[in-house]
Amino acid sequence: MKLETILQRIPCTVVVKGKGFEELDLRSIVASDLMSDVLTTVDDRFLIVTSLNSEQVIRTADIVGAPVVLLVNGKQPQNGMVRLAEEFGITLLSTPLSMYKVCYLLGCLLESK
Amino acid sequence: MRVRDLSEALGIELIQPEFEDTEILDGYTGDLLSDVMAHASSGSVLITIQAHKNTIAVAGLVGILAIIVANERPIPEDMVEAARKEKIAIFRSKESQFVLSGKLYAQLSSSR
Amino acid sequence: MSTIPINTQESPPFLLDLIYRLKVKDVMTHEVITARRETPLRQIQYIMKEKGITGVPITDDEGKRLFGIVSMDDIIRALDGGYIQDPAERWMSRNLIVLEDDMPLQFAISYLDKFRYGRFPVLNKDRELVGIITSRDIIIALLVEVNKEVEKLEQRIVQPPSRPGEEARLLYHVRKYDFENAGKASAGIKKLLLERNLDPKTLRRISVAAYELEMNLVVHSEGGTLSFRMEKDRVEIEAKDRGPGIPDVEQAMEEGFSTANEWIRSLGFGAGMGLPNAKRVSDEFTIDSRVGEGTTVRAVIYLPK
Repeated sequence: MKLETILQRIPCTVVVKGKGFEELDLRSIVASDLMSDVLTTVDDRFLIVTSLNSEQVIRTADIVGAPVVLLVNGKQPQNGMVRLAEEFGITLLSTPLSMYKVCYLLGCLLESK
Repeated sequence: MRVRDLSEALGIELIQPEFEDTEILDGYTGDLLSDVMAHASSGSVLITIQAHKNTIAVAGLVGILAIIVANERPIPEDMVEAARKEKIAIFRSKESQFVLSGKLYAQLSSSR
Repeated sequence: MSTIPINTQESPPFLLDLIYRLKVKDVMTHEVITARRETPLRQIQYIMKEKGITGVPITDDEGKRLFGIVSMDDIIRALDGGYIQDPAERWMSRNLIVLEDDMPLQFAISYLDKFRYGRFPVLNKDRELVGIITSRDIIIALLVEVNKEVEKLEQRIVQPPSRPGEEARLLYHVRKYDFENAGKASAGIKKLLLERNLDPKTLRRISVAAYELEMNLVVHSEGGTLSFRMEKDRVEIEAKDRGPGIPDVEQAMEEGFSTANEWIRSLGFGAGMGLPNAKRVSDEFTIDSRVGEGTTVRAVIYLPK
């Protein structure tokens, strides 16, 4: 699933444009607020959907090779989170939608690809 | 859709069967209890991996009808006990929060 | 009605810890001034004036069973409506929102913000009235606690020289609850490994182990060190802390078992997955722990030839 499609179809704003922003292609989605849970994922190139807006999300994304983080509930990232996303080249998005709703919409996009 | 329909509709296992079988109004997905408390609405089903008795306390406050524990996370006995007292159903699934959210949302919108 | 100017989700870690750690019963006023159902509103007005309070719970004779509450607003309405001589029972608010004494203070703050009442009666597990909590109680308790807290968090990084046979060595000091710097040690380890062109799978396993052990130090220990040693065929990560020690190591390794408090959970940690996660990615994994002394966790990952 192309990041471009997500940006077109899901109401969200781009907070940080990470590495390879224009041609990012995502294989799957992991939605969680517990980073230990994300760390158990064996996949890479997935999108992390979370309501956690701390640096630890970016550190986790970097470790597992998730190039995009989508913050839900209109959460604004903490300053350190933006700084770290820029440093690690991770794309950071924010949506006013809830995790529940956005998962459904992303699921529809994933199925229709 | 009512709470008792969840098991079949989503293919999930019922862990705590003593609940009030009312109509489900909405869903909410999240693992941070403060977030659930702030945003989840009454009459919702909560999808989470936070399998802990405090989840029940928050669910009771917010008016959550049922909890679906994702990723087959182990459910402690004191959580089940607390849910029984509060009449909140607990289900468990091996699917992720992402997959369960999509399924529940689709089910709820088609049953309306 | 004034609310507590604390964001219960995004305030500094110390404050969030505080409002989860403190329970309603630590903060509430224990001596509750109550009135009976038949008490005239006029008398309640005098009680309020005399005691300088703005709400009076209506209870049974023992002051335990709560029937309702009469607030200053109810009194003003009674004066306006000319029924100030009526018994409390007739006009008290019955739709009560109450707190339980065991709930974290965070709940009380959320309640004040959400429901805009000036006070909440507090009940114990047996539904008996045991106290009353106002925003004033909360502000006083927080001020007292904040004044106690002076220690600043800091993290030092030390890099000892390599010994013979070692390819590289790193040592980090990790402080308790230092979420500002949490993850920096494992990022440093990852950076060093990236320069050595390790295969991505092994790199990821080492990173996960280092990160989980580092977070474990931050979340559960009194502070300690995270050290990293690389030899030709293996990498060793050791997390050594100064306490408190793990009473039951086997239990601590069970997925889902956690001693983390609600605040740590609200930050997305402490769901009992850290140690099992670190073990899963390691080829050798040992825990040596003594209660009252400390814990040493050692994770070894073999490097591909």
